[in-house]
Amino acid sequence: MKVTISKWNGVAAWRWDMPDDDVCGICRNPYDSTCSKCKFPGDECPLLLGECNHSFHMHCIFSWLRQESSGEKCPMCRQPFKSKSQETAGTTTQPAAQEAAAVTVTPA
Amino acid sequence: MAFASRRLGKELTKMHDKLPPGIALVKADDFKEWLMDIRVIDTNPLYDNETYRLKFSFTGSYPIEAPEVTFQLSTAADTPRPIPWHPHIYSNGIICLDLLDRQGWSPVHNVESICVSLQSMLTSNTKKERPPGDENFVKYNTQRPRDINFVFHDNQV
Repeated sequence: MKVTISKWNGVAAWRWDMPDDDVCGICRNPYDSTCSKCKFPGDECPLLLGECNHSFHMHCIFSWLRQESSGEKCPMCRQPFKSKSQETAGTTTQPAAQEAAAVTVTPA
Repeated sequence: MAFASRRLGKELTKMHDKLPPGIALVKADDFKEWLMDIRVIDTNPLYDNETYRLKFSFTGSYPIEAPEVTFQLSTAADTPRPIPWHPHIYSNGIICLDLLDRQGWSPVHNVESICVSLQSMLTSNTKKERPPGDENFVKYNTQRPRDINFVFHDNQV
């Protein structure tokens, strides 16, 4: 049998390149989800990784650091919170194997 | 309020599912005030066979802002809830604990972790005492716990 693909729809899933099933310690929402104020995850609600290797939604850690009482310290380890680099955590985009199989196949 | 209620909603779901031994949820009808009961699990003659009630008050900025946590007295015959003896707990239920203070609070704490901290604060105590100046403090204090400047002169307890 010969198969000709007449149409296919590529589907990709993204997630922050972070340990699995981990949540932001401040809002307790998953990293891949948003902080409690945003509606859309991703670049609009990025993560911030500290030099201490603790990470939070950028909006969450900023609300904390704005507080005078925070002393600009990491909520986890109480070391001064410094962003590890200017860039936020990278994303990995990989085609989701099952979803990518959504191809329309017509037997020739 | 969205910030606080979303976080508290998550905590509530988790607490309905599972809580550490000796900690029970009494009332959480809204996202402003919750009641929790705690018991000391390890044997300690000061606290054996007693249950204590904690009142949590949240602002819309929780967990960026610490909740206000105090022991609440109940003299009801079926649910007696005394104020536990402790050199850092005033007889009106106000607690002097660094993690509840502006300087000691961290937004990664939650209702459950506060209950666990208070449980262990009681477990390790051996003194049947009130903080120095308790009588006057209880009589004259009109400040809310968050605004009181406790002096942490005693780190032994």
